[in-house]
Amino acid sequence: MAEIVGAFAVGHAPNAPGDVARLGASSEYTPLFAGVSEHLEAVDPDVIVMFDTDHFATFFYDNLPTFAVGISDHTSGPGTDRWPGLPSYDNISVEESLARLVHKGGIEQGFDLAASLEFGVDHSIVVPLHFLNPGMRRPIVPVWINGIAPPIPRAKRCFDLGAMVQGVIETWPTDLRVAVVASGSISGDIGGPRARDHQPSAAADVAWMHQVLGRLSRGEVSELLNEATSERIAAAGNVSGELLNWIALLAVVGDHRPAFLEAQLDAGFAYAAWRFDG
Amino acid sequence: MTLYGVNKVSHLLQADPEFRDLMTTDPAAAIADLPLSDEERTAILDADVAALYQMGAHTFLLSRIPRFLPGLISRDEYIDRMRSVLSPAERAELEEQSLEPGQAL
Repeated sequence: MAEIVGAFAVGHAPNAPGDVARLGASSEYTPLFAGVSEHLEAVDPDVIVMFDTDHFATFFYDNLPTFAVGISDHTSGPGTDRWPGLPSYDNISVEESLARLVHKGGIEQGFDLAASLEFGVDHSIVVPLHFLNPGMRRPIVPVWINGIAPPIPRAKRCFDLGAMVQGVIETWPTDLRVAVVASGSISGDIGGPRARDHQPSAAADVAWMHQVLGRLSRGEVSELLNEATSERIAAAGNVSGELLNWIALLAVVGDHRPAFLEAQLDAGFAYAAWRFDG
Repeated sequence: MTLYGVNKVSHLLQADPEFRDLMTTDPAAAIADLPLSDEERTAILDADVAALYQMGAHTFLLSRIPRFLPGLISRDEYIDRMRSVLSPAERAELEEQSLEPGQAL
């Protein structure tokens, strides 16, 4: 059976690839993505399953799933979601056999996942892969959670979704090694009235950041599931529902403690690695 | 009112380069066939993002207007107009915050 070798989580600031390319070691993003990447490379997965929140690129209000999985042999991105310094990747391999199992397993276990058999991915998938999947040599499976267009799913439901995905991976009849990655901020508000001078985003909800980071570092999952209500998430900003990707990941993390956990408190991003090799 | 048409304008600005070009040259024609109330249509053509916000448009989507149509409304004009919905106390609090060193998005 397949083996889950680690769990990882990163932010996906669209300016990060360009910032790192331009500033190298002096970019504030460099040690954060490198810190996670080192742990991921150390456990050397063959496949990456990613929990992600699409930003109205793959999906829109004409057809908006709460949970979805991408089933194809390839995808590309970020398509028309272009940002300065963000490379385009025309051929990102998708592990179609595992994606099908996630869809089937989900339906059989009561998770009514939508499926997309032809899709692109936006910066929220491309940015993490740019740093964690150099050359796009590992195939991925995208699992989307609507964390951006209310009503968003409950935290406990997302945790249970994560447990379902974990079970599907662990019964996948193959010897492949799998990493599970969550993409998303802990707190973020883009385009609202509290945006800072000359920036699209508001300052993060630092109190919420501290609360969530504390729960993550101490492994206090049930407390976090109770605290991460849709109201509290909304108060932390309009993309703060990306935390639901982290929460799905926590089902995979189990009792492990993070080998790496850092944050950009003011920007609302966090970066984490949990290794299952010791 | 569902705001669907308003949010769709923001969606098409990213997804449809032809729509984006037409929004630059002839915005009234670009949105002519979208499901919009008169009030919504006027607010879009005036780039009155504060009114669109107050009607309930998704702010993440609204932020695509200055991103893809900087000629219609610049980032700084967008921020200025959005801040008009804040109370004086909220605005003072925000300006205090802005004095602290910020980080890029």
